[in-house]
Amino acid sequence: MKAPFSQFLASQADGLKALIALLGQRYDYVSVLSTDSKGFAARISQRAKSVANDTMTTERGHVVRVHRDGLYSEAAFNDFDPAHPEIMAERLTRVLDNQLAVLAATGVEPYNTGALSDEPRTLFVEMETGRLPEEEDMEALIDTLSAISDEGVKRGEGVIDCMANAQSTHISKMFLTAHQDLRQSYVYSEGGVAVIAMKDGRNEMSHEGLSGRKGPELFDGLKDKLDDALRVAGELLSAGRVEPGEYDFIAAPDVSGLIAHEAFGHGVEMDMFVKERALGAQYIGKRVGSDNVTMHEGALCAENVTSYAFDDEGTLAGDVIEIDRGILKTGICDALSALRLGTKPTGNGKRQNFEHKVYTRMTNTLFDSGSDKLEDMIASIKKGYLLEGISSGMEDPKHWGIQCIVERGYEIVDGKLTGKVVAPVVMTGYVPDLLGSVSMVSGDRGVFGNGGCGKGHKEWVKVADGGPYLKARARLG
Amino acid sequence: MKLNEIIDIVKASGADAWEITDTREEGWEFYFIRRRLDQNRAKLVEHIRVTVYKKSEDGQFLGSASGEIAPTADEAEARSIVDGLLHNAAYVRNPFYTLNGPFEGMDQAGNEPVDPAAVAKDFIEAVRAVPETATEDINSWELFVSALNRRFVNSEGVDVTSGYPSCMLEAVINARRDGHEIELYRLYKSGGCDRETLSRDIGEVLRFGKDKLIAGNTPNLGKADVVFSTDAALEIYEWFATRMNAAFKARGLSDWEANKPVAEGATGDRITLTAVKRLPNSSRNAACDAEGAPVRETVLIQDGIAKRFLGNRQFSQYLGLTESFQPGNLTATGGSQSAEALRQGQFLEVVEFSDFQVNPMNGDIAGEIRLAYWHDGDTVTPVSGGSVTGTMADFAKTMRMSRELRQYDCWLIPAVTRLSGVTVTGAV
Repeated sequence: MKAPFSQFLASQADGLKALIALLGQRYDYVSVLSTDSKGFAARISQRAKSVANDTMTTERGHVVRVHRDGLYSEAAFNDFDPAHPEIMAERLTRVLDNQLAVLAATGVEPYNTGALSDEPRTLFVEMETGRLPEEEDMEALIDTLSAISDEGVKRGEGVIDCMANAQSTHISKMFLTAHQDLRQSYVYSEGGVAVIAMKDGRNEMSHEGLSGRKGPELFDGLKDKLDDALRVAGELLSAGRVEPGEYDFIAAPDVSGLIAHEAFGHGVEMDMFVKERALGAQYIGKRVGSDNVTMHEGALCAENVTSYAFDDEGTLAGDVIEIDRGILKTGICDALSALRLGTKPTGNGKRQNFEHKVYTRMTNTLFDSGSDKLEDMIASIKKGYLLEGISSGMEDPKHWGIQCIVERGYEIVDGKLTGKVVAPVVMTGYVPDLLGSVSMVSGDRGVFGNGGCGKGHKEWVKVADGGPYLKARARLG
Repeated sequence: MKLNEIIDIVKASGADAWEITDTREEGWEFYFIRRRLDQNRAKLVEHIRVTVYKKSEDGQFLGSASGEIAPTADEAEARSIVDGLLHNAAYVRNPFYTLNGPFEGMDQAGNEPVDPAAVAKDFIEAVRAVPETATEDINSWELFVSALNRRFVNSEGVDVTSGYPSCMLEAVINARRDGHEIELYRLYKSGGCDRETLSRDIGEVLRFGKDKLIAGNTPNLGKADVVFSTDAALEIYEWFATRMNAAFKARGLSDWEANKPVAEGATGDRITLTAVKRLPNSSRNAACDAEGAPVRETVLIQDGIAKRFLGNRQFSQYLGLTESFQPGNLTATGGSQSAEALRQGQFLEVVEFSDFQVNPMNGDIAGEIRLAYWHDGDTVTPVSGGSVTGTMADFAKTMRMSRELRQYDCWLIPAVTRLSGVTVTGAV
């Protein structure tokens, strides 16, 4: 079935177009992004159960972007009356004028950017979904999640709780200017099973998730995640510590995704080029990895949690080859940064929600597959680790440092897994060294869309990343 | 739709209990690249969040479901949302608990008048007055000033309105030398603009930037003493607070017990952790928490002994706690020495991490070092790279804190914290 476009947004469109016309008398560029996204989140554990009508991306509201005298300004609001656009036009103009008065009083000059083009365009996309979150049978879903939680506690040794969660969001977005009318709707869902186990006073938590541009039918696969979550919780409880040093390692597809995200995901967000915050700007056309490294980024690269038809500035979704056989080709770019850099936007202008500013953000960030077999990759390592499970990561685009906190490592000695587990593993290094050391790449690939990504320490958006198994070398501690 | 109309719909819905939070925000935002304005933004929004509760027939369980009703919703849509929430609440079976009732002084919760224009002007002037040099300056910065007004109403008679400011400043600092440039990052949160503190903090980061440029590789120290003197230390004290959180305890994730030491056999300083109503310029000086419970000065840990778990009403009641609440401001004290005394002997003082974290589940610490000072007896060397690891379960036994304190928004913590036996992986 098609995910239907919001009737609420459709009912607001004429009033918003009138608002654009009114503001157009004063500004030389006006656009409106309107959102109406509904969903649910259910979290069931032995000790607490909750259901809510909201997820990380549910929202309803509008944001106006205007341009005059080289300056872009925005105003977000969520009480628009389409019968009286003049009231909102006056209100927005007043608050933005008040801001300009403060800027004038403090002697601030604008960055001075040209106006975006407004070529006529229309688009109407309703993407396929199996079911809709707003029509989901919550009683049945809660029963399913409760059964997973009950079984997890019953089966796992030392398990003190098992959480099963499911969330699904039906996104509707509309982008309007004087000459453009773009509308899209789609559904994405994500779920997970988390097991908390205790041994000798120490708690460990494992998490196994799934995600996709699908409806709540995705949760049919949730119970299959329990076995892995139980196994990993047990492994973490008996894990040792890695002896700090430099090792060969194999990154499992989720860890490859974390590396892709932190190494060259953030590093080629081109709003960072405008601020001269990214070393990547100086390396376009140069080698940053081995011949085994090819990396794609874009909403069209995969069907996952952020695979939209157009971004939050009305730029159509893309598929960019960032690194081609080790050579850095290009970055990703929002519309305003593209204007400032004299390049084209890539469909990566995203907001946390309608209340937040657009930044260049990732969508699907993926290493390409190769042709090696995992067993051959393991066999090639004298002493090292198979790294699996992600905790967090942090980049330093200016210095190309990378920090990945990996959940666990499986020891490899003389080409064989020994059964010994270490946890957690902090992988640090210099990005070109890390990517330059990629020597083997498996033929399969995974894409993971659980969790969110911040810019600095804020502006949280959905992203997906992944790749195949990669053999590389870095410092582990 | 007006709030009072939504209250009437919820009252008539058949819910056994309910809560509504109506938050209005006027936000002013300014984004700068160097000294020029990238963009200005305004936010004029209202969020009405409704939670409805349904008791099981035997009264043993209480279900709840929550969601937002947009101010643009008409009566039919609002009714439909409330009916849907009530339907879902019936399937959520948590052991019964009660909502918060009215409290003394509820009517005087306080409205702090906030003028976003005046606060924004203060911040802009303060940041532009920071003494930049030819080699250390501010690359870009983002300013968020919000005037918030929150009304909380529930079925038990709580009706409290508070107005307060909330500000955030993100700053990226550059330093350069011989054609090489580095950056450091800070995210400051506060109630309003404190020019003096802001100027001091950014000045400190400019100095760190200069040292980062001449930093060598962090040596492979094995086990070493590590000193924390910047905002990364917050993670350490948040670990103590999390383990004293009622939900964390009720869910079996904290094995700490009231009136028992938080670190058995401790030989270090004994921490005292206290929830306080107000801290100067904190962004969390609200009179009551998000569930309408009044905030009171309360000791959680006294001289290293767990005293009182605190948290939301559901899990607090599961633990049998009365007069509980979710703390907004916290202080950590108990240091026995001066900051200077804690900086004696061999130690690594880490002032910049990529992202320092303490895992609340198991106390594991991890962070890549962006700038540290290796104090090797008489010499002090700026170093970079490598990482720190270990677990708070061990460090809490020997942790040392300075008597001097430093405030980070809603936290007042020791200015210097020294952990022993931290694994320091070198950069090479």
